[in-house]
Amino acid sequence: MSTPTPRATPAASGSSARPVFMRILKWGGLLALAIAVIGGVVGFLVDAERGLVSALVGTAMAILFTGLTAASILVANRFSGTDFFTAIFFAVVMGAWIVKFAIFLVLVFLLRDQPWINPVVMFLCIIAGVLGSLIVDVVVVATSRMSYASDVTLPGE
Amino acid sequence: MDATTVLAEINGNIATVGYGLAAIGPAIGVGIVVGKTIEGVARQPELAGRLQVLMYIGIAFTEALAFIGIATYFIFV
Repeated sequence: MSTPTPRATPAASGSSARPVFMRILKWGGLLALAIAVIGGVVGFLVDAERGLVSALVGTAMAILFTGLTAASILVANRFSGTDFFTAIFFAVVMGAWIVKFAIFLVLVFLLRDQPWINPVVMFLCIIAGVLGSLIVDVVVVATSRMSYASDVTLPGE
Repeated sequence: MDATTVLAEINGNIATVGYGLAAIGPAIGVGIVVGKTIEGVARQPELAGRLQVLMYIGIAFTEALAFIGIATYFIFV
């Protein structure tokens, strides 16, 4: 008589993805610093203090809004193991996405006509921040090590 | 009859139309990415972690399109 081998019980937790998202946020922050410095110097040369402020605002907006997706996934993963994890996960991630775009729209609409903003410098810094964060995301994910079947919990665990 | 008869007139900021156009593509893109991720997690829940990372990359690329599209219309109009 043999004891039955314990079968892996699937648990959609996603907790194994946590280190990847932490690295994405860390490298995204460093990229923001680099773009803020370079953009700030170029903005200052182009349009003095107005250009400097626009560069800093544009970089902050780009990095904040692109990093929010990774942060929302990390927050949503705190609910792993609960009965409605999948529903909660997508509600948190997609909800954060919608709110993020609503805030982005309002900010761009309000900042456009401000006298202390140079729209072109701000726009270029937003593009640099968004494209830079894409590069960081791809590099971090491509160099990350994640096993297949990573979120398995055995019976009794 | 006047040759330049106005049949329809649009008032307001054209940037709002730009926002509408910029929202179409990313909306479809994110819908497909998230829908397929749900499908994948439902089939193989133990792969949730890997699928989340791949979903994140998909969302990042589609939202980049939206950010640049929306910012273009609002800043240059």
